[in-house]
Amino acid sequence: MKHVLGLIIILLFIIGFSLVLTVAGNYILPSQEIRSLAKYYLYLAYNPWHRNFTVMSPEAVTSIVWDFRGLDTVFETAVFYLAIIGSIALGRGIVKYSKPSGKLGLSLIVKTVTRISAVMIIAVAASIALHGHLTPGGGFQGGATAAVAPLLILIIFSHYYLLEKGVTKDLMLFLRSLGLTGIGIVAIIVYLMALPQGIHAYVLQNQPKPDSSIGLPAYIDGQLISGTLWFFNISEFFAVMAGFTIVFLLITIPERAFKKEEEVERQ
Amino acid sequence: MLLVTALASIFSVIAVYYAIMEKNLVRAVVFSAIQSTIYAFIYYMLMAPDIVLVYIPVAVGLYPAVILILISKTEKVEKQ
Repeated sequence: MKHVLGLIIILLFIIGFSLVLTVAGNYILPSQEIRSLAKYYLYLAYNPWHRNFTVMSPEAVTSIVWDFRGLDTVFETAVFYLAIIGSIALGRGIVKYSKPSGKLGLSLIVKTVTRISAVMIIAVAASIALHGHLTPGGGFQGGATAAVAPLLILIIFSHYYLLEKGVTKDLMLFLRSLGLTGIGIVAIIVYLMALPQGIHAYVLQNQPKPDSSIGLPAYIDGQLISGTLWFFNISEFFAVMAGFTIVFLLITIPERAFKKEEEVERQ
Repeated sequence: MLLVTALASIFSVIAVYYAIMEKNLVRAVVFSAIQSTIYAFIYYMLMAPDIVLVYIPVAVGLYPAVILILISKTEKVEKQ
């Protein structure tokens, strides 16, 4: 079995390499022309002269993710939320476990380096998330980057250090729910703004549309926030960061926390 | 540019092969992380910076770390 698998991979490797050498240059190279749908996206992502169609964000990917196909992203976030709920359900019924005596975590050098780098990771993550509508990045990217910091602290300082600092599962669940609620509110905020004025508006609407003259402001005090995109990004940032942190907190729970319960059941 | 990307993808195939064949699970995760690093580079070469930014923390940082934590709770060497 081992050799068959190896053989298949090596054969695929040789065939693939030959393909690249011979025919790929003629057939597999992507077309130089931009497709018509992509042309519209690029044309309308930031276009102050077409205020009824544009997203007012120079970042085409974020425009697509949170505006042109915003509903997909909302559902993706909901799926991720349900996955976290599932993992919390798996980690239920944990008895209270005490901190073991003795020195925990890795050496002082590693701890000092982590103290510096964790702050830098959070800063980079915040920059990725808050500038998600201007430069490559966004809420998910920023949240995933920020989640590296608690993971480093969990491994290098130990599980108990993070809990003592107040980063508990319940707090993270609260932050995560806050993020998801934020996404939900921003999704219908234009509709709620339009309701008292008697104008009709759409779910996940950002800028004014041809038959709906209301929208969130693209600029606040001269700074481009691209309407809903900035709020979506910051909500997603908290939701993803807290979601990953919950999973890490759960998988680093010592096994004796589960074993104790089994012993109680046996008695 | 395309040649560099093609070469990087070939190196990623080698990393995947070692990740599958390695009996020591910790080493296999390291090979998998090498493959992820090469993929991140390929995404950058294909001008997809948004994917690079999500791929680096998830596939190079979070995923190997989660697998390593799980391996530390089981056995370090795969048995036949």
